Amino acid sequence: MTPLAIGLPPFHTLAQRHLVYAYCAVWFLQFGYGIYLAVQWRKTSRP
Amino acid sequence: MSVTTPATNARKLQIGGIVWLALTIIVLAIGFYHACTAPTEATMGNLYRVFFYHFPHTILSFLFPYLNCFASFAFLYWRTRNPESAAKADAFALASAEATVLYASVGLATGMLWGRAAWGIWWTWDARLTTYLLLWLLYVSYLLVRRLSAAGQTEVISAVLAIFAAIDIPICFMSIRWWRTQHPAPVFGGSADSGIDPSMYPAVWWNLIAWLMWGIFIVGLRYAIERRRQRAASANALGFLYEDAALEAR
Repeated sequence: MTPLAIGLPPFHTLAQRHLVYAYCAVWFLQFGYGIYLAVQWRKTSRP
Repeated sequence: MSVTTPATNARKLQIGGIVWLALTIIVLAIGFYHACTAPTEATMGNLYRVFFYHFPHTILSFLFPYLNCFASFAFLYWRTRNPESAAKADAFALASAEATVLYASVGLATGMLWGRAAWGIWWTWDARLTTYLLLWLLYVSYLLVRRLSAAGQTEVISAVLAIFAAIDIPICFMSIRWWRTQHPAPVFGGSADSGIDPSMYPAVWWNLIAWLMWGIFIVGLRYAIERRRQRAASANALGFLYEDAALEAR
């Protein structure tokens, strides 16, 4: 078994592509929001 | 003898936050490793691995609205009795509402991608999907109310909205038990033949713990940012009061 069980790109089947899209969507939304919060934290100066 | 000041407390919290984030990233990596190396499922093949991210996000998107609801109750209780505690409750309500929208967005996105590949359709108006979309819309509207309503009543209006929005959570959670839906029946705590193979447990539980830790981190950080904003707004308001008093004294 390869470390990534679905294999490596290019992904030919719809199921393979949608699995990769789903994982990418999770990371994009979660870590994008995390980076947005980090920027807001830096911008808000302590009163 | 050391003296504890607000500055040293803030420094300790910052260090604690960084340590928590580092631990979270390690647990996320372990969860990802287990998600990739869990055995392939018999009927869906590798596509079922979406479940390892979809399940934690959906479950946690049912948890954060309850925190939002409790914080909103606390705000309404304290707003005339203890303004400082009310402000803290309001900041926590906002942080948990943003986490709700974030986790529900991920739940919707992963669910639709999974549905298109597994069922051949992106969406269907069954009870689970409809009530879940309603949940997402309710908390998006909560954030819009906070953003767009007139200053002064924002916190009260949003707290009342949060309490009513929370009614949708048990309906959505129970929808796959009460009604026959396109969405699969509960995997955990469902009928006698529900459940997954024990070899898949590590991927499920590591990812659930990882995304819970990440959720605690972002709610904590959002809460801290909102508290800073509240303190800055109070300081500005006090500054204006002092300026007015000085002008009147002249």
